[in-house]
Amino acid sequence: MYLTEKDVRGIATYARIGLSDAEVAAMTVDLNSIIENLKPITEYDLRGVEPTFHPIAGLSNVMREDRVRSGFTHDEALANAPAEQDGQFLVPSILGDAGGDR
Amino acid sequence: MKGLKTVLQDWEAVIGLEVHVELTTLNTKMFCACPISYGDDPNTHTCPVCLGMPGALPVPNRAAIESIVLAGLATGCSIQKRSMFYRKNYFYPDMSKNFQTTQGPIAFCMHGAIDLEIPHTAATVPRAGMPERDAYTAHIGITRIHLEEDAGKTVHVGGTDGRISGATYSLLDYNRCGTPLIELVTEPDLRTPEEARLFLQKLRQVFLTLGISDCSMEQGSLRCDGNVSLRRYGAAQFGTKTELKNMNSFKNLHDGLTFEICRQAEVLEEGDAVRQETRHWEPAAKRTITMRVKETADDYRLFPEPDLAPYDLSDEFIEAVRARLPELPDAKKRRYVSTCGLPTSDAAALAGDVELSRFFDEALTAQPALAKPIANLLLNEVSAWLNAHSVEGLTLVSGKVTPAALAELAKLTADGTISSHQGKEVFALMAATGDTPARIVEERGMKQVSDAGAIEQIVSDILAANPQKVEEYRSGKTGLRGFFVGQAMKATQGQGNPQLINEIITKKLEG
Amino acid sequence: MAVGFEYPDLSVAAIRAGLAAHDFSAREVAQAAIARVDALDPQVHAFLEPTPELALAAAERIDAALAGTDAHNAADASAAATHNTALDSLGPLAGVPIAFKDNMNQLGTHTTCASLMLKDYTAPFSATCVERAIAGGGLPLGKLNMDEFAFGSSTETSAFGRTYNPWDLERVPGGSSGGSAASVAAGMVTVALGSDTGGSIRQPASFCGVVGMKPTYGVVSRYGVVAFGSSLDQVGPFGRTVADIAATLDAISGRDLRDCTSQEVTTCFTDYLERGVAGMRIGIVSALTDAPGIELEIVTATHQAVKRLESLGAHIVEVELPNAAAALAAYYVIGPCEAFSNLSRFDSVRYGYREPDAADLGEQYEQSRAHGFGPETIRRIMLGSYLLSSGVYDTYYYPAQQVRTLITQDYQRAFEQVDALITPVSPRTAFRFGEIADPTSMYLSDIFTIPINIAGNGGLSLPVGLGETSGLPVGVQIIGPQFSDENIIQVAAALEATYDIRRRAPLEAGIHASIEDRLGTPLKAPTQASAEGGRQ
Repeated sequence: MYLTEKDVRGIATYARIGLSDAEVAAMTVDLNSIIENLKPITEYDLRGVEPTFHPIAGLSNVMREDRVRSGFTHDEALANAPAEQDGQFLVPSILGDAGGDR
Repeated sequence: MKGLKTVLQDWEAVIGLEVHVELTTLNTKMFCACPISYGDDPNTHTCPVCLGMPGALPVPNRAAIESIVLAGLATGCSIQKRSMFYRKNYFYPDMSKNFQTTQGPIAFCMHGAIDLEIPHTAATVPRAGMPERDAYTAHIGITRIHLEEDAGKTVHVGGTDGRISGATYSLLDYNRCGTPLIELVTEPDLRTPEEARLFLQKLRQVFLTLGISDCSMEQGSLRCDGNVSLRRYGAAQFGTKTELKNMNSFKNLHDGLTFEICRQAEVLEEGDAVRQETRHWEPAAKRTITMRVKETADDYRLFPEPDLAPYDLSDEFIEAVRARLPELPDAKKRRYVSTCGLPTSDAAALAGDVELSRFFDEALTAQPALAKPIANLLLNEVSAWLNAHSVEGLTLVSGKVTPAALAELAKLTADGTISSHQGKEVFALMAATGDTPARIVEERGMKQVSDAGAIEQIVSDILAANPQKVEEYRSGKTGLRGFFVGQAMKATQGQGNPQLINEIITKKLEG
Repeated sequence: MAVGFEYPDLSVAAIRAGLAAHDFSAREVAQAAIARVDALDPQVHAFLEPTPELALAAAERIDAALAGTDAHNAADASAAATHNTALDSLGPLAGVPIAFKDNMNQLGTHTTCASLMLKDYTAPFSATCVERAIAGGGLPLGKLNMDEFAFGSSTETSAFGRTYNPWDLERVPGGSSGGSAASVAAGMVTVALGSDTGGSIRQPASFCGVVGMKPTYGVVSRYGVVAFGSSLDQVGPFGRTVADIAATLDAISGRDLRDCTSQEVTTCFTDYLERGVAGMRIGIVSALTDAPGIELEIVTATHQAVKRLESLGAHIVEVELPNAAAALAAYYVIGPCEAFSNLSRFDSVRYGYREPDAADLGEQYEQSRAHGFGPETIRRIMLGSYLLSSGVYDTYYYPAQQVRTLITQDYQRAFEQVDALITPVSPRTAFRFGEIADPTSMYLSDIFTIPINIAGNGGLSLPVGLGETSGLPVGVQIIGPQFSDENIIQVAAALEATYDIRRRAPLEAGIHASIEDRLGTPLKAPTQASAEGGRQ
């Protein structure tokens, strides 16, 4: 057992997904089963092995020139907005803990 | 609460700064080709990338990488050829992807330093061990400078003062989202609020000289947070620190740190422990208040950004940036003293102001021999004029006086064509009309009267008209000299060469 | 339907030839495709949003361009040759019906990723692959069903209903690009685009008996394709023949300034169709092919394919991939971590499903995401959120990326000895709906495809007939060295030529809707096809 239901609740809070008690219980079973299958990763001797974060070997320094290109019009930007006011995206009250430390 | 001076006799304050600078002089954002803007209508400068639309991918702005390398070279950092961008994952609605693209353990610039000169002033509390009445130098280490992207702007509606607490809803504008941002972190090497203020000022001067940002604290393109802790002198370990926010001016930085140092001293002296927390400086109430208590370390789930290629900067890239390094304020100051012969204080004042020094250097190319008169004009007439017109937002750049014109004015004064008194008048007209000094002098007939014969006649007439005063002067009331000079100036309608008038009066009264 | 050609089997080359010879117009091709979608999609449900007017508009542009060239050259003796030149300028997919997996943005269409989260989302821009396919002459027939956000191997996790395997309507089409595979297998479109993070093109291609290719990471731009695992995702084509795959790849591959990881591609893949395999070295990995748990008919089919390659003059070389067994674990670390972060943007602020009446933003986040995402999506996000947390990162994420280095080195060493590898695609043929319910078992169905995403190489699934036990399509996988995808095309085309098999599922329509009816359907309205379990 890698994760308790309490752990799973913490993970869900961090991932901003509201789970019911029943969902937390089921998720705990699923995650523990999946994590069990990740064991091979922990059994390797990886001393001296560099990680590969980017699959194309040697790819580096990809940059663009500092030239303006037109993007969205104001209406395009807000076209999919669930709620808006005064040309801005509207969200309900942000409580102090809604985000990380800014 | 005790005052700072008293507190610092018993406690050593340990201060580190985190400085954020938007690269406002670039054309486009960090990872997309939207323009960098300030004050435009909300959400008019966005695209799939900075709005975090599904499927959008970032592409880094080369000029932003060049800017941070420039910043690193100017602050003595070691430029790291190999580094990566990382994703810092946290939910906040002004960060459209809900992760900030930033750098990981290795930043583009690491391990720099700035030598800070702390001049003596009556109000300054120096760091412990430093003489009360002398300037001193502090070596401030820079841990790193990394590149990241700024967030959008949130307006909280329905609460008081636009604060987050009590707001019923919030509005989001993503125009600023994705603006290139560099974050500079200092070592905990600062010891007084004044050092912190001067450090930030110096940093601002350096970045303005580099031209990488407009560094406006008012508009938020230069922002500064502080970490403060206290310990007894000689203690090896740091005390518990608090993080201080909302210090959005140099004065607020100084005052906020001062308050926090004194507050912590009071807490400690009452036998309590300082809580590790983020505090908010309230300038109006002159106090800091708790914003957020840190119970556990933040977990941002940082991992290398797979959409961006790693960096492996070439020597050519770094050297090309180095070749663009302008003369920095410290070097300028040295040159103004050694080559131009300016007094140290004047050199510092000029070198410490990007616009003044740029103006000075340009004027100097027109009149290389007149460094001192040009410097005097800039530090006196020009600075006074700028102060008087600061409300209108006038600056040297937006004003009507060119460096060449100022150099010409210096020449007219230096070669005696006009008096220094006339010089002030001419400058005022230059600033108002944009006319050249030669033209103003010509049109208004302001040439200085330096004809010795004419002045002798005038002086003789004055002495003849005031025999009693001449008698009084000769019997020892030498203070009357000013009266005679004034009369002579009046007779020449202010155009008499004051030096000549003085000489002739002396000759005639004492000869 | 009265058209003078048999649309469902038309190849890219046949469409090109027909247009050149004036046998039919692009409009007629589009109409036939629309009719075929109308007729068969009620049974297959490959489409989430058909776009008949976009297909017709594209067809008319092509016909107009061809007519313009014809008129201009009416008196010219070499008019036919000029006509071909006009076709060439119209691109490699001129007049070819194509459809896109619904994780690809196509301006003005919905891009739902088969999720309630994006049910009402209208794409404000087009993905590069979509743009290039249409610029290359493709007729865009619509958006295709998939597993939600591409998390799955059966298309059963779609929020808008299942897609049915055209070979057996009681079975899954595979996934996550199940709609792409099924649309091609049913002859509704000639080619389709899908995306592949761990097998999501190759596995459904093998389940549906069509060709599907995941090119080397970087060959096709990912810009505009909703990301799952950014270092694993790659876009690729589905077709009924290797030639159709090559033509599609010619249209969509190459450097895109909007995707830092996309690469310059100068190869013309179509040039490699007829080169044969004589003298080529082709690797087999016995430890993989003969591993326990693989169905016998798959093993047999793979061995037969190897024999055929040998008889064509290829040298068969035994190679080893000692770390392949760890690929699945590495994948289930890297994929969810990247997905967790990529899916954070679905927060109901700028777009996407928003739970009404939330008291504050925190509750709105939690409820919108809990209800907008399906269970498999939530599982992956949760897993990624856990694996990236401090402490755990060093136990799984970092080591997984080190294991990735070992796996990549395995392939590099193997490709020092061989020009291509051949392996099975999937340990079994298409399964029945609901047959695999346990997530871990579902994950195991990708053991042959996942290592290729980990290493970044290209791989293609080629149909080699029906399994001797199941009677269902079986595929073999051809893998090439990084950025040598032409090797894959060359081997697959040669091997394909040795099989005389059905390229299209034996499925015919029960319902015939008139073209005119279809044309009257507005773009955004729910279609008959997606009515069952479709978005409301």
